[in-house]
Amino acid sequence: MAARPSRPRLLLRHATLVAVSFVMLLPFYWVMKTAVTNENIYAYPPGIVPRDPHLFNFVDVWYLIPFPRYLLNSIVVSAIAVAGNVVLNAMAGYALTRQFPGRRAVLALFLSCMLIPFQATIIPAYLITAKMGLLNTYFGLAFPMLSTIICIFVFKAAFEAVPRSLIDAARLDGLSEWRIILRVLLPLSKPAIATNVILSFIWSWNNFLWPLLITRDPTMQTLPLGLARFLSYMEDTTGALYAFAVLVLAPSVLVFLMAQKEFIRGLTSGATKG
Amino acid sequence: MSLRQVRKTYDAQEIVHGVDLEVADQEFVVLVGPSGCGKSTLLRMIAGLEEISGGEIAIGERTVNEVDPKDRDVAMVFQDYALYPHLTVFQNIAFSLQYRNVGKAEIARRVAEVAAILDIEPLLERKPRQLSGGQRQRVAMGRAIVREPKVFLFDEPLSNLDAKLRVQMRTEIKKLRERVRTTAIYVTHDQVEAMTLADRIVLMHNGQVEQIGTPEDVYDEPATLFVAGFVGTSAMNLIQGRIEGGAVIFGDGARLVLPPSRYDAHAGKAVTIGLRPEHLHWAKDGDPNPLVGVARVVEPLGSDTLVVFDVAGCELQARLPPRVVRHAGEAVRVAVAPESIHLFDPATERRL
Ligand SMILES: Nc1ncnc2c1ncn2[C@@H]1O[C@H](COP(=O)(O)OP(=O)(O)O)[C@@H](O)[C@H]1O
Ligand SMILES: [Mg+2]
Repeated sequence: MAARPSRPRLLLRHATLVAVSFVMLLPFYWVMKTAVTNENIYAYPPGIVPRDPHLFNFVDVWYLIPFPRYLLNSIVVSAIAVAGNVVLNAMAGYALTRQFPGRRAVLALFLSCMLIPFQATIIPAYLITAKMGLLNTYFGLAFPMLSTIICIFVFKAAFEAVPRSLIDAARLDGLSEWRIILRVLLPLSKPAIATNVILSFIWSWNNFLWPLLITRDPTMQTLPLGLARFLSYMEDTTGALYAFAVLVLAPSVLVFLMAQKEFIRGLTSGATKG
Repeated sequence: MSLRQVRKTYDAQEIVHGVDLEVADQEFVVLVGPSGCGKSTLLRMIAGLEEISGGEIAIGERTVNEVDPKDRDVAMVFQDYALYPHLTVFQNIAFSLQYRNVGKAEIARRVAEVAAILDIEPLLERKPRQLSGGQRQRVAMGRAIVREPKVFLFDEPLSNLDAKLRVQMRTEIKKLRERVRTTAIYVTHDQVEAMTLADRIVLMHNGQVEQIGTPEDVYDEPATLFVAGFVGTSAMNLIQGRIEGGAVIFGDGARLVLPPSRYDAHAGKAVTIGLRPEHLHWAKDGDPNPLVGVARVVEPLGSDTLVVFDVAGCELQARLPPRVVRHAGEAVRVAVAPESIHLFDPATERRL
């Protein structure tokens, strides 16, 4: 632990943190404020305190469009994606910590795949999904997001940080490879799990292009698509639009808050010992 | 248990060169050697954690080369203890039993029994990070004992402890052996640990066995120069000399009489002479082989004093009673019994 900084430096540090937080939080506050009023965001002079706050915008969003349906779709798809990421990435990550012929080739393949943007592979992905008869299904919506290479590497790094002797001990204790992952490695890799949960949830939750491509049936659409549709047929959208944005954001924030402690440890692990 | 011509190769480089070893039932064998000599590798091959590149390992009557680690019925204590950090002490000890179809009540009974033997009952609900080094060490032992395996394997279990605790735990292991009589293979780089614990010592050097024998054997009759230098609290004096007329000559003319007719076949041969510092005793009149010299360095240790002195142009070290020599520059008069002189062939480095 470093020595406690002197008082003026501490003040300066806190002042900086407050200023940065302010810049980060202001747009968020603005969205919230607009959502509970009908003020035009371009209104001049801008007011900080909302005038006559009300919740009618939320009510509108809930009833004017099939919001609950979109919400359900988004939750189901994201849950499948999160489960897929945690399970598949942990398995792949463990495999990559072991020695096997062709390991380097696999690593090189994974790294090079990360260089290809999703947009470039979206047509073949669509064709494959269509061939499998998964268009307009929850599984099809989650399909390309079931595993993420970056998150595989997050697990690989976490597993490599577990002392080799623990795995040896587990092997002598009679655990199969599957049980070593489940009973020894995963309990010691909570930050990596949290990182996987948060990242895959956010990617899946915010995905727009893929659901747009593979859903014909409006009842299978997810929230981002709903938002786009909503935009196209609402007149004066300001307040309701922002209410919608708040409702879309809320679950992500919730997931993040639940997992944030482990998540931050995951991002900074390796920075310090112990 | 037996090893026959066991070898290990990494990337075309041989690390362990054909080790042969027979371990009797309930025997405590210590593998000792400098670090990097392949002790851990050999132990891990016995455990099944490392593939065997050549040769055969048998436990009991069964060849286990292709047997999974979990089915070899061996338990291992690791240098870093390898306790599962997310489990309590109880769960750590019980862990392996859960995967071996042992009932809940039976697990509780066996863990309690082991905890009593090791005196760790109050710690059962703690997590490993809440334990001191010595306590973790005990838990690691408990985890091995609870399995009641055919063979215990220890890989430098005491090397992470501080000196005082190490001595204490060494005694504990020795006591434990009286209660838990199981075949054990114990790896260490510390020759004192090896001498105190072993029924039999296996001395390894560069992936090869230099000597196998009881602690007395390897101390009294080191088979090679390496063993001579490795065993013993203070290193053996090694000096070049020549056999001539029932004696060895070294330096500028010093003479040590050898036991009668024992080395007659080697007359005239150049040899390496080995003298243990503790066998150079303060000379009384009439002692054979007196050596007179001048003290260079005097290191009092309390119970005795290490004296480095010059004799006949060679530097020797002697372990003498306290206060016979106090300062550098004083005269030193020591003698050595003919039976305590070790002779080695400088070319083959083997004992004559
Ligand atoms: N996985 C490995 N790959 C290549 N060389 C290894 C490996 N493990 C150990 N070695 C080498 O084998 C030799 C013996 O290692 P080890 O058995 O750990 O020695 P010890 O336990 O006696 O200190 C060392 O020189 C080490 O560098
Ligand atoms: Mg070792």
